[in-house]
Amino acid sequence: MAMGRATRMLIGLMVALLLAPFIGNDYLVSVLILCLFNAYLAQAWNIMMGFAGQLSLGHALYVGLGAYAGGALFFHYGTPPWIGMIVGAAIAALVGGVIGFLGFRFGVKGVYFALLTIAFAEFTRILFDHFTWVGGSSGLYLPVVRADHDNLLLLRGRPAMFYYVILGLSAAVFLICHRILGSRLGYYWRAIREDQDAAQALGIDTFKAKMAAVMLSAALTAVGGVFYAFYTNTLYAESAFAMHRSIELILGAIIGGMGTLFGPILGAFLLTLLGELLTRLAENFGHGFEGVKQIGYGLILLVIIALRREGVWPRLAKRLGLDGEKAS
Amino acid sequence: MTRTSTLFPLGRRTLLKSAAAGAALAALPMRRLHAAAPLKLGVLLPRSGFLALIGQACQRGVDMGLPVLKDMGYDIEVMNADTESSPDVGRTQAEKLIREGAQMLMGTFDSATTMSVAQVAEQKGIPFVVNIASDPKITEQGYKYTFRVFPTSPQLGAGGMGLMKTLFAQTGTTPKTAVFMHVNDSFGMSMLAGVNALMPKLEMPFKIVETIAYDPRAKDLSIEVAKAKAAKADMHMVVTRLNDAILMVREMVKQQYETQGIISPGSPGMYERQFAKTLGKYADYCVTNIPWFDPRSDLNKELEPRFTKAFPDETYDINFGFTFEAVLVAADAYKRAGSANPQALTEALRKTSIAKRLLTGTAIAFDEKGQNNGNQVVAVQNRDGKPQVVLPDQFAVMKPVYPVPAWSKR
Repeated sequence: MAMGRATRMLIGLMVALLLAPFIGNDYLVSVLILCLFNAYLAQAWNIMMGFAGQLSLGHALYVGLGAYAGGALFFHYGTPPWIGMIVGAAIAALVGGVIGFLGFRFGVKGVYFALLTIAFAEFTRILFDHFTWVGGSSGLYLPVVRADHDNLLLLRGRPAMFYYVILGLSAAVFLICHRILGSRLGYYWRAIREDQDAAQALGIDTFKAKMAAVMLSAALTAVGGVFYAFYTNTLYAESAFAMHRSIELILGAIIGGMGTLFGPILGAFLLTLLGELLTRLAENFGHGFEGVKQIGYGLILLVIIALRREGVWPRLAKRLGLDGEKAS
Repeated sequence: MTRTSTLFPLGRRTLLKSAAAGAALAALPMRRLHAAAPLKLGVLLPRSGFLALIGQACQRGVDMGLPVLKDMGYDIEVMNADTESSPDVGRTQAEKLIREGAQMLMGTFDSATTMSVAQVAEQKGIPFVVNIASDPKITEQGYKYTFRVFPTSPQLGAGGMGLMKTLFAQTGTTPKTAVFMHVNDSFGMSMLAGVNALMPKLEMPFKIVETIAYDPRAKDLSIEVAKAKAAKADMHMVVTRLNDAILMVREMVKQQYETQGIISPGSPGMYERQFAKTLGKYADYCVTNIPWFDPRSDLNKELEPRFTKAFPDETYDINFGFTFEAVLVAADAYKRAGSANPQALTEALRKTSIAKRLLTGTAIAFDEKGQNNGNQVVAVQNRDGKPQVVLPDQFAVMKPVYPVPAWSKR
């Protein structure tokens, strides 16, 4: 069977990304790590909002839970991060389940559900700020060594190793999303997103389907959090659970195109690269123009949202002739 | 035909010419050599984001320091980068600076970003001089390339608490009780731990009857101040940032909460220009125990008039002072190393000994962990809208006032 155009393009993109560390320097690799990390988180958030239509504005909660679970287990017991990812994902799924249960069982919908997610993220931030086992407000520092060799088991090594790990994780979550979208659960989610009452009338157990979306999204986000902990080696509750992280996390999906498979990836790449580009441009202005990057960033976001309300990807996919294919 | 010996294959004249050229090269002052290839110093500061004002204050230490350092025979080229008050941005900016040729890094004011940059420095083997960041963990990680000029928060606390006893002894008034109000961020919490540990160790003459933690981003401190007032303590001890310090004193005036004095064992806020500008006469008599400009220092005599002329509305404070000293440390190491090789620079940093300082203390020198232990905490009291050193005597420019006048009598 001949490969579809989308599949061919995806393979091409994957090959380019696999080769990037051989072509670029450490700086390019670290920028690409940020792109892929943001793409990973945007995809995880997209499951909940893009596919199932449940708005979460406190997703940093799961990043933080994963980061602290993986980081603290490693710090105190030397537990490999891959086990930390399982523990972090389980904790995040449980917490996501509690939030989902409270919201869905008691009919908390729309913006009120979003407020519930913010509230959980905020009080968890304050809780971790005073949780001395994980360093409290002084932070949790994972030991850093001069990176002469890579230890994949313990995620200690050079930027290129982290690059391939986050590339693998991003590809994995893409495949999970692709698989689920084509499944019965994927159709349930989209039905709920479009009209929950109609979906319920058709016999879909909306409570179960929404809980599955929240718990899966939370668990995958937490896995990203563990990666974050081992890449940055420094955890502060104030930044791990911060509101701005929740906002950054969802911007990629919104700009790229919510509810699509490739939109969150494209959005995350666009925004991260735009941020880097504006940093470089702002440096040329010198002192006294320190806020110019943030102003420029905000203006560009406004323009994109005004011109492409559905996100950048759907129109681009149409131009590339991919709009009819599953990969979009 | 030119005669050449088998022992010296070069001709006599060629040999003499080469020797003369070599001698001339060796005789060139070090400054000339450095002028050809100045040290590329990557400066990482939070010039935008929520720490922007402080980052810009630090940046003035770099910008104003460069010509002074050049006059002193140092040659550096600065590569500026904005961390945007974010550890993630700080990390990528550090990597970018190194890629673009930075041979040493300097920054970053806040502990979280400093930690991020320290990790990059460690991974790349590039020396990193920390101007300001007080979290003790930064120099407890076994890093080989990180050197901190600023004191740790326990050092600040120990110096600050010790000086309180001197203040009470000199003024003849000793409080029996105190309220401790502090920010609940990483800095505030580490200061709290330090203060609690030091109270019995230093046999402080007062008892802390109430400890009140608050969010540094708080927009209202009326409840916290009311709680402090209800404790009826003699002294009000604080660990603040800038905005909350203003809110707190404003609320103390409003609630007519009188104490013998407001004293910080070492935190920003009360010595800053904005504090004095906003609170006017109510900013006076607040005491901060912190390393400060040495009034006797030649560098201070050189820099203060320049600063005041260039920035009449800005504070000549330790953000400027410690950043200048960090650049001085970097330039001095390069001069002594005679090379931009990271190992040579690191080795030179390890052997740093700078006696002629801008700030109070003994010579800047780093211990095996990369920490400078030569900072001397002094008592700085706001007087007529200006921070003045009042203790210890060798640095004091005026006598301390304690207890302070009531709010209504100012």
